Amino acid sequence: MKITFLKRTVLLFVCMLIACLFYLQIVQGEYYLKMSQKNRIRVIPLRAPRGNIYDRHMELLAGNRLAFDCAVIPQEFDDSIEVLNKVALMLDMPGGSLKSKIEENALAPFAPTTLKRDLDKELAISISERSLDFPGLLIQTYPVRYYPHGSSSSHITGYIGLINEEELSILKRYGYMIKDYVGRTGLELFYDDYLKGESGGMQVEVDSRGRELEVMGIREPSKGMDITTTLDIRLQEYIDSLLGSHKGAAIVMLSQSGDILAMSSKPDYDPNAFLSPAKFGEVKKLLTGRDCPLINRAISASYPPGSVFKIVTATAALELGRITEDELLDCGGYYVVGNRRFHCWKKSGHGLQTIREGIKNSCNVFFWQTGLKAGVDAISDFGARYGLGRKSSVDLPYETEGVLPGRGWKRRTKGESWYPGDTMNLSIGQGYLLLTPMQVTCMYNALATEGKVFTPHIARSIGGVDVFPQQTDMLKISARTFRAIKDGTKRAVQDAGGTSSKADAEGLDIAGKTGTAETGTDRTHAWFAGYSPADDPLVTVTVFLEYGGKGGGLPCEIASKIFIKLEELGYL
Amino acid sequence: MHSLNYKKRFDPLLIILPLLIFFIGLVFLYSASSGIKTIKGIDYTLRQLIWLTIGLAVVLIVVNIDFRRLVDLSYIFYALVTIALFIVLMTGGSRMGAKRWLDIGGFTFQPSEFAKLALILGLSFYLGNNRYSIRGFRTFFGAAFITLFLFILIFKEPDLGSALALFPILFAVLAAAAVPFKYIFGSVFLGLAASPLFWNIMKDYQKRRLLVFLNPNMDPLGAGYTVIQSKIAIGSGGLLGKGWMGGTQSQLNFLPERHTDFIFSVVGEEWGFLGCLLVILLYTLLLLRILAVAEKTNDVYGKLIVAGVAGMLAFQMIVNIAMTAGFMPVVGLPLPFISYGGSSLIMSMAAIALVINVDMRKTVF
Repeated sequence: MKITFLKRTVLLFVCMLIACLFYLQIVQGEYYLKMSQKNRIRVIPLRAPRGNIYDRHMELLAGNRLAFDCAVIPQEFDDSIEVLNKVALMLDMPGGSLKSKIEENALAPFAPTTLKRDLDKELAISISERSLDFPGLLIQTYPVRYYPHGSSSSHITGYIGLINEEELSILKRYGYMIKDYVGRTGLELFYDDYLKGESGGMQVEVDSRGRELEVMGIREPSKGMDITTTLDIRLQEYIDSLLGSHKGAAIVMLSQSGDILAMSSKPDYDPNAFLSPAKFGEVKKLLTGRDCPLINRAISASYPPGSVFKIVTATAALELGRITEDELLDCGGYYVVGNRRFHCWKKSGHGLQTIREGIKNSCNVFFWQTGLKAGVDAISDFGARYGLGRKSSVDLPYETEGVLPGRGWKRRTKGESWYPGDTMNLSIGQGYLLLTPMQVTCMYNALATEGKVFTPHIARSIGGVDVFPQQTDMLKISARTFRAIKDGTKRAVQDAGGTSSKADAEGLDIAGKTGTAETGTDRTHAWFAGYSPADDPLVTVTVFLEYGGKGGGLPCEIASKIFIKLEELGYL
Repeated sequence: MHSLNYKKRFDPLLIILPLLIFFIGLVFLYSASSGIKTIKGIDYTLRQLIWLTIGLAVVLIVVNIDFRRLVDLSYIFYALVTIALFIVLMTGGSRMGAKRWLDIGGFTFQPSEFAKLALILGLSFYLGNNRYSIRGFRTFFGAAFITLFLFILIFKEPDLGSALALFPILFAVLAAAAVPFKYIFGSVFLGLAASPLFWNIMKDYQKRRLLVFLNPNMDPLGAGYTVIQSKIAIGSGGLLGKGWMGGTQSQLNFLPERHTDFIFSVVGEEWGFLGCLLVILLYTLLLLRILAVAEKTNDVYGKLIVAGVAGMLAFQMIVNIAMTAGFMPVVGLPLPFISYGGSSLIMSMAAIALVINVDMRKTVF
């Protein structure tokens, strides 16, 4: 009968089960009993070293150094007053605090509980030597992040911090453990899952003195992947020194690939501060600082661009045939709309200009006329083609999209219709328009290369695998339009009287445009965006100074020095 | 409500044994959960009692419905379970990296548990209907297909444990139906031969579980940790155990999951080998009584249902204990009537209810 067969099968398996349990509990019972007694097992996590970050010449930007913690295994440690006092003396800590520290920091049974972090190597060694006198006391070594170039690479690398409870509940399934570090900003955040590696651990059997008898099980940690970036740290540090104590950002990009050679944002900070318990006071200052040092102004902040935007107005008008490249428009110093006079920045006016001179002189009257002829929809549309109002998708977190206004936009966000005055503001890069220095760089790069669009990027190889730059798009704007505008930007730098003339440098063929953006206060934001060589560009440079005065002043001077340095370093 | 006179008496052990096992389990549950810092021991124990009352209510309902009617409706259950499984696949709440749960009004609910019951009813229906062609390959194939369909849905969640639990049900039902052995063993052989394919489909953590089973010391901080600690707990119980609430491994938080899948480690540690023997013997007795019902009944469908229930409970019991003691890879299978968890308890009680149902109606036609 088949049921009998089933009965017999069940009985068979049950007997096997009982036999196994017999073996486990009776035959091996003694062994496991010893195991279960308190002073027999330690569980030690083995942290994985994070992957390194290098610049394009393999200079270390973020690496790991060895740190030493003093810890105890509570079950093995004699927590009598005298022992605690002795230990406190060794560690230079107040006597009473140790007991509470042990309780606070307890992690798991038989796992080390930290007493003091990041000890001096000498102290760590001397404690190790005395460990037999203090059963349960041990020195833990593990890798700690450090940033050799500190503040100059700070916005690129970002920094890391301990994982919090909320993040852990989501990230646990990806292998994150308690007390792991995660990137909080910069590349450390963006590429965290490549950088972090995989933690391991071991279970060791120890004797009553804490000496390891046998490693019962071990899983080796695996190091995180290294990242090589497109950055040149020498250039970056040079630009940092040029920016000095000004607030703002500067970006240098290789025009034919989108490689970011340098991205400076000021003010910056020392990311090492986040990792050294001694420097937590500094961290608090950084987090609450009014000038927001932790924000990467190159990508996370957007500003009115002022005249650097004029190339969009020009593109719109030329492409739609509203003006031609040789058409002359007059600037008498002011422009009349309705019963109001809007003054150009040059009170006496620029006289008759073609588009090339309009750009060279950055004439507002010229662009008001041009803008009104092109119309807001066209300007908006071409702005979008240049990538404005969207993220550039550079591989850093917290990028903002800025604002590219238009008819629909105004109706949606302000519930009002678009007025000609808004068009006039937009044409000269004011009004609701907000751009990030990154967007400005990409825009000028597209202009310089006559339409090639690249995704800007910083990582060029991850874990040994190259990340190849790709041209993602080709703008459908005629070469004639590009050339006319480029000619204007060339004249702005290289002709006498051009607004960007301070950006010029001997022996170099530089083109570019300034911007002086009204902010509603009596100080203006200052911009310069340019590229070199003018006809077949290799590098695109943007310099932005918050409340930096006139675009034609400091930004151009700084840009000029940057171009000279680029030639020195071999990029030009 | 029908109250037809052919309701005879049923074997009382069928309800006494599960309750006995349950209350023994409750004792261990209290011990296991009292060490959990966030929720007091009483909470889990209380909840388990609430689940029991719901379970008993389910039993009362199920035994009052002629099981043959349930068999007739089996395709509806099958369809509902399939839909529920699809929903879990699309949306399911994820805990521990696996989608097994659905949230319905604050209660979590595991369709894969109920899939087992649906399979039992479904197979009974199918094989019962085809009893005159039982020796045919097509019948075997149909049964296998019904099973595999659910298997794939559950496997994809991924819930390896519940998915595998479908096979002993199939095996028991096929054996009880007297499907030719060559088909059964042939497909077991095929299954083993195809296991390299399964290896590739398995997710990383499932592969790791298998490797860790072969060498638990390989992963001392993850899956291997639980098994190592569980073995220590059980092994250290020796002959007599450390006494109730005396389990150091369990009390000192060494064992995560000790109130659910790994609760047998508490039995092993606190009551020792004799305690384990007692629990296993109670289960075995229950299984034998269940199979006795299958022997006694003339109704084909009833026989198959009971065999399926026996297969399901036997598999879960044996695999859970073996896993806790480190003799089998870790799969998420609860110990019936003892592990904490509403779905498991109610489903096990429903299964018992089916057996009682069949036992009550074993008239001669």
